[in-house]
Amino acid sequence: MFNSEGSALPAETQSILLQKGPADILFGIPSYNNGSTLRHVIEAVRTGHAKYYPGARAVLLVSDGGSTDDTRGEAEAAFESDIYETCLVSCPTVPLWGTVTRYKGISGKGSAFKAVFEAARLLNVKACAVLDADLRSITPEWVQLLLDPILKKGYGYVCPFYRRYKYDGTITNSLAYPLTRALYGRRVRQPIGGDFGFSGDLVDRYLEKDVWETDVARFGIDIWMTTTAIVEGFKICQSFMGAKIHNAKDPGEDLGPMFRQVVGTIFQLMEDYETRWKQVVGSRPTAIFGFQSEVSPRPIKINLPRMVRNFMEGYDSQKSFYETILPEDCFSKLEEVRRMCPERLDFPKVLWVKIVYSYAAGYRAVVDKARYLDSLIPLYVGFVASFVRETEGVDNYKAEEVIEDLCEIFEDTKAYLLARWGGRGDEE
Amino acid sequence: MEKKKKILAIDDEEDIRLILKEELTDEGYEVYTLGDPTQALDKIEEIHPDLVLLDIKMPQMNGTELLCLIRDRYYDLPVILLTAYTSFKRDVVSTASDYYVVKSGDFTELEKRIKRIFKVRV
Repeated sequence: MFNSEGSALPAETQSILLQKGPADILFGIPSYNNGSTLRHVIEAVRTGHAKYYPGARAVLLVSDGGSTDDTRGEAEAAFESDIYETCLVSCPTVPLWGTVTRYKGISGKGSAFKAVFEAARLLNVKACAVLDADLRSITPEWVQLLLDPILKKGYGYVCPFYRRYKYDGTITNSLAYPLTRALYGRRVRQPIGGDFGFSGDLVDRYLEKDVWETDVARFGIDIWMTTTAIVEGFKICQSFMGAKIHNAKDPGEDLGPMFRQVVGTIFQLMEDYETRWKQVVGSRPTAIFGFQSEVSPRPIKINLPRMVRNFMEGYDSQKSFYETILPEDCFSKLEEVRRMCPERLDFPKVLWVKIVYSYAAGYRAVVDKARYLDSLIPLYVGFVASFVRETEGVDNYKAEEVIEDLCEIFEDTKAYLLARWGGRGDEE
Repeated sequence: MEKKKKILAIDDEEDIRLILKEELTDEGYEVYTLGDPTQALDKIEEIHPDLVLLDIKMPQMNGTELLCLIRDRYYDLPVILLTAYTSFKRDVVSTASDYYVVKSGDFTELEKRIKRIFKVRV
């Protein structure tokens, strides 16, 4: 049992899991007011379990953040629904057992995952898969894609590989993917994809870390899991899941908390793993599994004029702040970008990379980290607006090539980061 | 003196194998060639190359299939997909290669990618 004070799992859930365990597989679904989509996700998992692991002892834990809608009711209905007959799948020889628990700790996805990790350890599972509760495109095959590399091929961590619309996942495309690749040398296309598979050994490693009072307890969890898996030497692969259709947002809308938590976690990890990323040059690809099919992700509407306006207004209101934190070459180039005609905004990729690296290097010494990260948002919105303009007339594949170019610039500009980081370190 | 890097070029077309061997040997690499992709894993086991150049459209076996087998057995062996077609880039499996280079009479891009791979330190 876990110490009830520090545990994310309520004592009663721990007792039930101990009675139900041990198990081979744990499915974890973090939820908060996902009543409209959760049933579909649970039924996909149950069908996947029946189809691919009918003899495996499996538990499904919905780790809820205190939903006020019918999330719990929907989950309980989905545990009992007659899905096997509808999906033409034989009932599993060992039925999947599911439960909903209200996790303890800071409200956020990371705390929900901590409860899943603790459950995985209590059940002593071989493999665990976590899935977002707002998925609309999940199929039973996702279960196999996330677990087979762990159970049959000796991988420690499975990242999803989705076909996404070119403007979906802009934090991933402009920050999380290129930074993970340039810093740690591993090309993981969706490091914050939300749906992952991992081994019981990796769960033990996650639970050794004291991070649950930080942004890792919130949206920082995905990048933290992926980075930890890479840095701690677990064998990583990707599984092709098809399209990801979920409740996506316009990148011009309020992504503030998510942006702060993801980027803040990346910068914090850079401090924790400084000796590691400083040695990395270039990057290596990652193995990929899964059956390919042509999929067309749903387009996302973008309000480009609003994004450009948010960049320009945000820049104007924080210009003096940028002048103090950015090196002269970056600041003067940024001024040029600001003075461009809104209809022809062109934010150079090299400038974006240097800004990100400058922010990363400065993060350690900053006291008001929230304000510091918030100040990066208008520049991020400006960069994304420029990306949208550059890729307006091209398909998702061509847009992907633009992202690959950006990644190579991140890799090739790493000396700039080392210089900024080292310089600041010398001053301290 | 630094040991020469070993490159294994797998292509069903003999002309291409000869050109690759000539060009890359001139660049200072130790080049091996193979026309039958079904023997690739044995060849890799035998010579332990530092890099594999892999054609995609081959009659005996598709290069992307072979790439999956190579990745499965050799987690970190660098592979460049070298093909006459741009369309295979849309195949997700191509992301498991280090780079995707379109064949051309000009070897600048290929040589640039090879140099980049040999600088990688992860």
